Amino acid sequence: MHRKGDSSFSFHLAPSSQPLFSGKKSTSWLAVSKTTAFCGNTAPLYPWTSWAAGKVSFMCGNSQSAARLLHCVTLQLRKAWLWLFPAPAVLAEVKCVLFNEEYMNCTWGSRETLKANYSLYYWYRNTSNKVECKHYWQDQDIRVGCYFNQNEIIQFQPFHVLLKASMGGSTLEISKRMELQDLVKPDAPVNLTIHNMSNNQLQLTWATTYPKAKCLEHAVKYKSNKDTDWMEISVNGDVFSLPSVDYKKFYTFYVRSKVNKYCGRTQLWSEWSVPVVWGSNSTSKGTVHWLWIHTVLIPIASCLILLVLVILLVRMERVWVILMPRIPNPSKNFDELFITHNGNFQEWAGVPKDVVESFKPNYSENICYVSELPPKDSYEPLWESSNPPPSVMPSASPAPGEHSPYKNSYGRV
Amino acid sequence: MFHAFFRSTLPVLPLLLVLSPVNSSSCAMENKTTEIHVKYENILIHDINELVNISAQNRDRCCRNKNHKNIKVFFCNDTQEIESLQSMACNMLRFFHKQRISKAFRWKAAFVSCGTLQVLKCKCEGHRKEKVCPHVNVFGKEDTETGEQSRKKCNQEVCELKENISSLRSCWNKFEKIISR
Repeated sequence: MHRKGDSSFSFHLAPSSQPLFSGKKSTSWLAVSKTTAFCGNTAPLYPWTSWAAGKVSFMCGNSQSAARLLHCVTLQLRKAWLWLFPAPAVLAEVKCVLFNEEYMNCTWGSRETLKANYSLYYWYRNTSNKVECKHYWQDQDIRVGCYFNQNEIIQFQPFHVLLKASMGGSTLEISKRMELQDLVKPDAPVNLTIHNMSNNQLQLTWATTYPKAKCLEHAVKYKSNKDTDWMEISVNGDVFSLPSVDYKKFYTFYVRSKVNKYCGRTQLWSEWSVPVVWGSNSTSKGTVHWLWIHTVLIPIASCLILLVLVILLVRMERVWVILMPRIPNPSKNFDELFITHNGNFQEWAGVPKDVVESFKPNYSENICYVSELPPKDSYEPLWESSNPPPSVMPSASPAPGEHSPYKNSYGRV
Repeated sequence: MFHAFFRSTLPVLPLLLVLSPVNSSSCAMENKTTEIHVKYENILIHDINELVNISAQNRDRCCRNKNHKNIKVFFCNDTQEIESLQSMACNMLRFFHKQRISKAFRWKAAFVSCGTLQVLKCKCEGHRKEKVCPHVNVFGKEDTETGEQSRKKCNQEVCELKENISSLRSCWNKFEKIISR
């Protein structure tokens, strides 16, 4: 912040990456001021004064391009707080485009960004021959551009414009020098035509409304229905050849133009032309038809079939039984067991009673002694007299389990 | 006798005025536009583009200063494009010896001037072409300073040369546009 005297002080910002102010050095700037005073964060002590206009000169930023000018605020009272009001831009850069060398539009902004009254002057050779724009473009009473007809355009001569912006009684000016042949934007090519050549080759031709067709270079953009990305090729003449095309594919072509480097230095390409297509119609229609079947018909048909099935399942038991067979229930086979025999399995199964009783824990069986009576016919017994014939005598109490009929079976285990 | 002398010699003077060439071009390629077109597109355009790039590297902002604005501007007059190119090329040869301009810049400018004069088969007043172009054509692209070193302080001569280059390029564009039919 710099102090100039006791009655006022001005300021300038340190250079930054995005300067708020830009313009020529030592330019006379339009400055307006408002004053107020604060104590810390409290409300202002004094009400705002009215705006006052005046001219001041100071250094503002480092940029030397006259692209934008902003209003700055210079506070007049020593103790007033410093407030910056980046007011809307007064001026913007003048941009001109020469459309197909038929007419030219120079614009400098839009209604949203411009707040002043603008006047455009232009000349070619002599500064004294300044002419004001005859046809302004207006956007709600704000001049935002100028229209030049063909008679007012001279290429290959330095073209100077002077834009004046007046606001609040003061005027700001911006001048620019241009070469109009470097600002030409041709119209898009027309009459795109495809020719079938031999060896599966395609030839694309087009025409242009630009007066000097030899001064144009072109770019062709094409793609087949099987490709995902566009292919862009630069062409110098007005013929483009595509070798080895596939007859099953469907191709789309676009063309655009630009003034070549021999006739100017423009970077403005024309708009893309109206496309031209080539390929078998059935393929294209078949593709669309197949796509329609895949995405619409099959899902709908599937849903309908499913719905029918659900309805059949719910309403027709015979279908239900076929689809969901009943689980066999063998309980009927056991009705006799539970009803007649009261759940007595042994009785129902026909197990003998003694077998049933043998399973009881307190079962005891009387042993039945069996003896063999000698036969009446006398023959020597098989054993000697010394050895007394073994007699099978019933014992009183056989060892438990010793003569159990199941012993052998146990012993054989 | 004196009356007879003047009567015989007096008509000669107007005859000399009529017969003397008015604005006669010293270029020999007036009607050979096809040959000019081929040489321009295949050879000269590349050198011109390089020269324009070198010119753009020199600070342009200083030439917008009021002190440097009063520079002679060359115009590419209608139907006189060859003469305009000759005038621009010959004028550009003046800068070949200006030490306040970086060496790379003035050598390239001289190279393009000589190329223009050679394509158009033009001459310059004061034999300027014969004094400069043999140097430039023989030595070709000299070992020049690096880009950073070649940027010298902005001065009136640099601004004049930049303006001259811009005019020459525009005039070539115009001429090419006319002959490319």
